[in-house]
Amino acid sequence: MKISLNEIKKLVTIPKNISTDDLIKLIGARLVEVEEAIDLAPKYEKSYIVKVAECEPIPGTHLHLCQIDTGSKKVQVVCGAPNVRKGMLAVWLAPGAIVPQTYGEENFKLGTRKLQGYESNGMLAGLDELDLGDDHSGIVELDPSMDFPGTTRNIQPGDSFAEAFDLNDIILDIENKSLTHRPDTFGLIGFAREVAGILGIAFKEPDILNAPDISRWQVTDISPKVKIEDSKICPRYSCAIFNVGEKKRKITTLIPQDVFLAKAGMRAVSPIVDLTNKIMLYTGQPLHAFDYDKFIVAGKTKTPEIVVRKAKKGEKIQLLDGKIIECIPDDILITSNNIPVALAGAMGGLNTAIDENTRHIIIESATFSLYNLRKTQMAHGIFSEAITRFTKGLPAEQTMIALNIAANKLGIDPIAAADAYPDKQPQPTISVTVREINSLLGTDYKTSDIIKTLSNVGILECQKTNLTFQIPYWRTDLHIKEDIIEEVGRLKGYDNIPKTLPTRLFIGATEDSMLKLKKQIRDILSDNLGAHEILTYTFVNKKLQQIVGEDPKDSYEIINSISPDLQVLRQSLIPSLLEKVYLNQKAGYKDFTLYEMNQITKKSLGLTTDRVPEVEQHLALATTHDYYYAKAILENLAQLLYINLGLKKFQSGPAYFEPLHSAEITLGEKTIGYLGEIRVSVQNSLKLPLTAAFEINLANLLGAGHQAVASHLSKYPSSERDLTLKVPSDTAYQSLQNAITSTLDQQENLIYTIAPASIYQKEPDTKNISFKLSFASTKKTLESAEISAIMEEVIKSTAAFHASVV
Amino acid sequence: MSELEKLKSELNSLGKEYAKIKTLPEAERKDFGIKLNQKKEDLLQKIKQAEAAEASKDIEPIDITAPAASNQPIPHFEKGSKHPLMVEIDRVCDIYSRMGFNVIEARTIDDEFNMFEALNFPEGHPARDGYDTFRTAEGFIPPAHTSTMQHRALKKYKKDLENGGQIAVVIPGRVYRNEDVDATHEHTFYQCEGIFVSKDATMGQMLGVLKNFFETYYEQELNIRTQPGYFPFTEPSLEFMIEKPKSLGGKGDGWLEMLGCGMIHPNVLKIAGIDPTKYKGFAWGGGIDRLVMLRYGLTDVRYFESGKLDFLKEF
Repeated sequence: MKISLNEIKKLVTIPKNISTDDLIKLIGARLVEVEEAIDLAPKYEKSYIVKVAECEPIPGTHLHLCQIDTGSKKVQVVCGAPNVRKGMLAVWLAPGAIVPQTYGEENFKLGTRKLQGYESNGMLAGLDELDLGDDHSGIVELDPSMDFPGTTRNIQPGDSFAEAFDLNDIILDIENKSLTHRPDTFGLIGFAREVAGILGIAFKEPDILNAPDISRWQVTDISPKVKIEDSKICPRYSCAIFNVGEKKRKITTLIPQDVFLAKAGMRAVSPIVDLTNKIMLYTGQPLHAFDYDKFIVAGKTKTPEIVVRKAKKGEKIQLLDGKIIECIPDDILITSNNIPVALAGAMGGLNTAIDENTRHIIIESATFSLYNLRKTQMAHGIFSEAITRFTKGLPAEQTMIALNIAANKLGIDPIAAADAYPDKQPQPTISVTVREINSLLGTDYKTSDIIKTLSNVGILECQKTNLTFQIPYWRTDLHIKEDIIEEVGRLKGYDNIPKTLPTRLFIGATEDSMLKLKKQIRDILSDNLGAHEILTYTFVNKKLQQIVGEDPKDSYEIINSISPDLQVLRQSLIPSLLEKVYLNQKAGYKDFTLYEMNQITKKSLGLTTDRVPEVEQHLALATTHDYYYAKAILENLAQLLYINLGLKKFQSGPAYFEPLHSAEITLGEKTIGYLGEIRVSVQNSLKLPLTAAFEINLANLLGAGHQAVASHLSKYPSSERDLTLKVPSDTAYQSLQNAITSTLDQQENLIYTIAPASIYQKEPDTKNISFKLSFASTKKTLESAEISAIMEEVIKSTAAFHASVV
Repeated sequence: MSELEKLKSELNSLGKEYAKIKTLPEAERKDFGIKLNQKKEDLLQKIKQAEAAEASKDIEPIDITAPAASNQPIPHFEKGSKHPLMVEIDRVCDIYSRMGFNVIEARTIDDEFNMFEALNFPEGHPARDGYDTFRTAEGFIPPAHTSTMQHRALKKYKKDLENGGQIAVVIPGRVYRNEDVDATHEHTFYQCEGIFVSKDATMGQMLGVLKNFFETYYEQELNIRTQPGYFPFTEPSLEFMIEKPKSLGGKGDGWLEMLGCGMIHPNVLKIAGIDPTKYKGFAWGGGIDRLVMLRYGLTDVRYFESGKLDFLKEF
């Protein structure tokens, strides 16, 4: 939303000690975020009102050679506009001026140059070049009878264009979102009221709000009948019929109202539409003008019979912009005797559009359900200034006020008026205590201060005995005492609230066990095990799921996704990691390990007790190495977490694992995840190098860690021995090691370690497995012979494996 | 003939069976067609499996219990990296935790109730549009803000209030907005929510807590500023700003918008079964991604979910 600071200043007297900068800061701190304050002055610098004194065509061209009167001297300008003529008042951009249309972008600076051999100084500007409209059919013409603001004289050559048209202004670009609940601030009057409030001064309501009431007006037997089918969709519908006669204006003549509209981001259309838009910009209440005669024809009635109703399914209407739309059942239609003539709140129908032949009009001033209009807005993609205001929930009390202003501004009496207001509600009052206000804000405001602060913006105390406020009609957002407390805090300035800290009980905050586990895992994998943590999207493409052999039907599907890559919620993390393995190896990386910890969900997990999908916390890791590398990472991780993980033969599991090169990860008897090389077919499809991965459901690891016990400490020295065993090639390493450790466990007072040294295979039938062993006793220094005896036991225990010592 | 070849020839022969449809009585055609399609589907599935098996035909069994493949060195590791967003979340939660806040994690999928209803958004209210939520066919919502956890957290810790204590909890989590991705917009990002409820919570306390947090976080004293905001679940609602810290090149002039906050709306407390006449609370929520971008001078938000080692190795 664009707000002219000059317009605000016309409605509120800003204290002298408040600079423009201060004011903008204050608006930002106490009303709404100002995204940008746009200073128009430099944009219209060196633009002047001039009179075309001489104007001769340049032979053989469409150009004219003009001598213009700039007030102090005559200047030569070549002009290509078809409407340039001797005697007209125009806008001249002098040499050195930047063409306003290009201001802030390419900043096209005018100078003196030769055109067809004639010197031309600056230019005579059109509406588009002035950035005040879209018309580029000719140059702007000014009305010589127009007053120069603040004087009793007319505009004259040499006048600053910016001063004459109120363009030495600052436009505040307002972030609307935080005003979603404040329809009143979508009118200049409401915005100005707030500005007064935050400055701590009483707002003087403008007289125009009390324009004579026309709601019962009737001078003829034409009496519009208004029928509202459901007051929920249309709380109030007011309208008046006027005989406006012929209203014509030249499109190239610029009047101050056009500039007023342009500053608000709107464009001049026609005298009637411009007037209704202007009233909307002041009051926030959109008005719509129908051609009365067309309205009657459409409904085939003698006098207007207006029916406001919901659209029927499939009902069609052609809108002002020529588009034919098919209505949704939530659309509200304005109908003439049931024939649709407008899509309520959004756009008028083409069948009742006003045009140059319009002589009689119906002006509508109504309120509609913001919920319905929101759906209308979404269904038909209409985002006009009017519907933006309607969807904030306009107060029904305001419709007649805006209509009265329209009658007043048109300067004519209506022929007839009607006002359907079936369900008028009394304005609420809200009671609140000073203690409640101060205890929620943490302040110490006095009663009188609170009453004054609120009365500045028209929220008046209505009962002396306890603090009760009458809520003015324009404040549709105030319902409960917290709303009043907010107003006090905001208008007085949140930044003035003393900052304190809550006192707290000295109870230790609990740490979430899952977050703690994930932090531990992160420390271990990244700091010790060379893995890089990544984050990938929760959503994946179904195609990826199909490639890796997951069933997309088990995934929750996103139905309003903007991209095919965000089709479904993922069921596991590994597929996402595989995509990143591909990407990184394509980028030139060879040996690397990626991991992610995130939540997954799938339909087969079912729902929680509060009926939302069950989720699992997973850890997945993928590495451009073989099975053993991934296994080593997993084992190191488990060791550092003090968790005893096991591996067992891969029986069933995700289809993207190569079954013979994979294992199930077990904790006790339970399978808690999978470890393995990625299936060759999947590697091929995803263009991956040899990749191994594992994925674990982390919930299983919670509480699974055991207490570390310092059981390997001895004050006696330890001795090392190497042992290489030749075994049949199908011998499982772990079973061999288990045989050795169970033998060593039986030795009294022995502390030992065992670690793999190498696995060497030269022949197909056998392999050599080497261990590094170390021994120490808790009682004494071990003799060489004692160690040899232990080694003998160890070797004996491996006999079942047909092992021989190498 | 291999298994795969057999399946493929079987698939080819289906063509003839399809041709039979024409010869069948009208009434049987549909059934026949359905069965035939099912058969084709099964065959395609089997072929896919057979193809996968074919691709794996040279795979020799390995010893899944060994530390390394035969003739291969035993693996050893170098240093890796942590994702900066995760590090930052840890850091943020650590500070709140030291202040006495419990930490719980947000869930990755939620529903309309927690996203809007429990947060006092009237049904069909335009304020719901501001969140550009993703939706699943079942009507579930990948949350668009961590505030979806407010109702759950209030219920979870309500007993602490009843036992004479307070509710103090922060909730980091992943959130989603249905929008196009560019250097400054991501559809997936991280937020951290905070909730405090007690018998005498005030807005002054909220501003104090947040100021204190950011001063701890940036290790310096900071000026703060606010702006009125609008969220249906807080009343009053504010946008919270801090002075640009020195570590980010601040010279005491610029301001950074950090989060939205406010006093918890009485309806939100009520829905969670907490009596708003007895207890008051405040809540806030802000983005984590931005904190990280500011800290490391990142200008493109897309790096976070890129999985690129080029990026990760910087940390």
